[in-house]
Amino acid sequence: MKRYVVLVSAVLLFLSLLVCPGSVSAAPYYEGKIITIVVGYGPGGGYDRIARIVAKHLPKHIPGKPTILVQNMPGADSMIAANYLYNIAKPDGFTIGAFNRGLVFAQLLKADGVKFDLTKYAWIGSAAIESSVLVLRTDLPYKTIDDVAKTKSTIMLGCTGPADSSGQFPLFQKELLGYNFKFVTYPSSADIMLAVERKEVDGRGATYSSVKPLIDRGVVRPLIRGRVVEPGIENLPIDEDLAKDKKAKTLMAMRSAPDRIGRPYVAPPRTPAAAMKILTEAFAKAAKDPALQEDAAKNKMAVEYVPAGEVQKVLQYILNQPPDMVKEFAKYIKF
Amino acid sequence: MFDAFIEGLFMVLQWKALLYLCIGVLLGYAVGILPGLGGGTTLALMLPFIYKMTPGEAFAFLLGMHSVVQTAGDITSILFGIPGEATTVAMIVDGYPMSKKGEAGRALGAGLSASLIGVIIGAVVLLFSVPIVRPLVLSLGSPEMLMVILLGLTCISSLSGKGKRALLLGLLSAGFGFLCSMVGQDRQAGILRFTFGLLYLWNGLPLVPVMVGFFALPEIIDLAIRGTSIAGKIPDGTLTKGVWDGVKDTFNNFWMTVRCSLIGVVIGILPGIGGGVAQWLAYAHATQSAKTKEEAAGFGKGDVRGVIGPGASTGKEGGALIPTVAFGIPGSSAMAILMGAFFILGIIPGPDMLTKYLPLTFSMVWILVIANIITVASSFFMIGHMAKLTLVRGHIMIAFILLLCFIGSYCENNHIGDVVVMLLFGWIGYLMVVYDFPRAPFILAFILGKMAETYYYISTTRYGFDWIYRPKVIAIFGLVILAVLYPFIQNKLKFRKGANA
Repeated sequence: MKRYVVLVSAVLLFLSLLVCPGSVSAAPYYEGKIITIVVGYGPGGGYDRIARIVAKHLPKHIPGKPTILVQNMPGADSMIAANYLYNIAKPDGFTIGAFNRGLVFAQLLKADGVKFDLTKYAWIGSAAIESSVLVLRTDLPYKTIDDVAKTKSTIMLGCTGPADSSGQFPLFQKELLGYNFKFVTYPSSADIMLAVERKEVDGRGATYSSVKPLIDRGVVRPLIRGRVVEPGIENLPIDEDLAKDKKAKTLMAMRSAPDRIGRPYVAPPRTPAAAMKILTEAFAKAAKDPALQEDAAKNKMAVEYVPAGEVQKVLQYILNQPPDMVKEFAKYIKF
Repeated sequence: MFDAFIEGLFMVLQWKALLYLCIGVLLGYAVGILPGLGGGTTLALMLPFIYKMTPGEAFAFLLGMHSVVQTAGDITSILFGIPGEATTVAMIVDGYPMSKKGEAGRALGAGLSASLIGVIIGAVVLLFSVPIVRPLVLSLGSPEMLMVILLGLTCISSLSGKGKRALLLGLLSAGFGFLCSMVGQDRQAGILRFTFGLLYLWNGLPLVPVMVGFFALPEIIDLAIRGTSIAGKIPDGTLTKGVWDGVKDTFNNFWMTVRCSLIGVVIGILPGIGGGVAQWLAYAHATQSAKTKEEAAGFGKGDVRGVIGPGASTGKEGGALIPTVAFGIPGSSAMAILMGAFFILGIIPGPDMLTKYLPLTFSMVWILVIANIITVASSFFMIGHMAKLTLVRGHIMIAFILLLCFIGSYCENNHIGDVVVMLLFGWIGYLMVVYDFPRAPFILAFILGKMAETYYYISTTRYGFDWIYRPKVIAIFGLVILAVLYPFIQNKLKFRKGANA
């Protein structure tokens, strides 16, 4: 009888060791080392998929070819991961992380649970640009954003909640441009897509990359975009250009600013400059790697490196807004 | 269409595809048996391996792995009373008591054979629904979803067990489940509910640790108190003899097996409801098959039908593929990851799957069936050995099962909070057992509570109150009322019969 116990325990123990990533030890060089990418979301989503592509291709560009592991740390819209990276992870260059681009709003609005200052991370940069678009069903009579502006009937839009800034992109048009929108909150992005298919809602605000499959299939059509642009939607009108006063323009610009840092990558504050130099250079090179680009294209994602300096500019722009602007902004985006 | 059907079979039978299928099945088996480690996470980890595969091979690998997870998870649930998967908790309710009675072999035989029938029925439905799948899924809007969720909640009454105050205790248990499902950030307004300043609770209580603690810990305490092996003292040789009896049990209850499979299929098709519910509803349906009061009282104490029902709910595997394939819209997190695989392989799921890639779609039907035949057949060779684990002395098993509980709770998010939740709910679960509260209604309300709220909110913001007058809503609501009244009517009838006799 004991044989069974020993055998089964051994097998199970072995398997469980395989699946629980261990901790990383500190050492001066990347040779034979492990870098962990802490992702603030569960497996399968956009943040996770990009991290796994990065993990696959980044080692080639780092001297010493370390192994890169992805560790999912989901929770609180990735704030748990951000807090972990800021307060707990060792600043030794062996832990880096990816979290929600919208966290800057959490910091701006002083949301519960923020235990980080985004400007103080050792920034690697961003792995992608994510433009926000409004898409409406092609079977509806709205061919341009003018048709939307003129219509008397209410347009139903799906979103996933007040913390989803791309989903709330049309909210700014409703409040500041007077468009006739109504919002319905669904549990997930996939549920909105299905609601669009069965004509329960008329469209949604989303990142361009996430709705591209539906645009390609002719189910929906993009009508308006935010300031930040990706190839394919250059000719769409921009929300800021339609705004009449400066306040509205600024609010829209604030909302779209983090789109520029679509997939942020950081290391803990005080990570040694030498390690950061290796990581940022490797990141820039990996983003141009044709093999990585091919993998990304297969995943229907675009990888484009945005350097740390630009990230800081975006953060400063948002975090240095005057208090009355912040107060106004807090009416639309919650965290 | 028939050509495509055969072509699909040959796609799976190519030696490379078949090899990948076997590797997938082996992985799925390990994942299923280990508690906590879920099918979805493993799928995500395996995605990088498919870049170089053809679509036929990649799906043989991924789907083969995914489709056997529940079948294998049932084994852990029956033998140790720990859910092997979040989707196999209902199997514990009657499966583990059977193990305690020394009928592990029979329980495994019945559970596995029912599981296989379930998958086959799910695959057949997937096969025949190919032409009508789009209108079918599109006809179910949010108000209809809400009604289906309500229908699911009516099962609370049959899951409450029988007895004088059973329904009251069941409703209390369900109420507590609702309360727990409300923990976290509310989706509509972003308000934090019952989070006590902990970021950890923002996304709500995690499902796997709650279930592991709730069901496994009380059993471990019970095992420690009894001081024997799981199966206690039984005569030699009886343990493994029952395997074929189990298989026969499944065929003796063939129509119930089919009905439970169909419940699985329907839950699978509905996006977002999730497999955890499927097994509970199938179990609830199985308990309704009790013909006398004595039979009804036997459920929860090791009735073989309480194993067959949950086993057969594997019909959901076929059902869940339907919205994924037809619209490119995943019904569960595992399916969302499978969608990622579609993209990697250069296929855009959607209408093309029913025309251009029809053979591939059919190959999925075959993969489901073949992978599960391999799993069940190979399990049958091992049942004898597995069943003997229930004879291992308790104090050795306890350490081993506890270890599994801890690993299972921790692995999903690598967060220590999950272990705390597991222990806390273990304690609550133990108190509920001691004071005769049924635990099943809690789980059902815990899973469905937040969804009911969400879909009620969606229906009302979208349609105002007009959704109440939609014909399909009225039709399903009729079923809800029937389901609520049915046990009372049944009771009355039984009572009358009893009085006449």
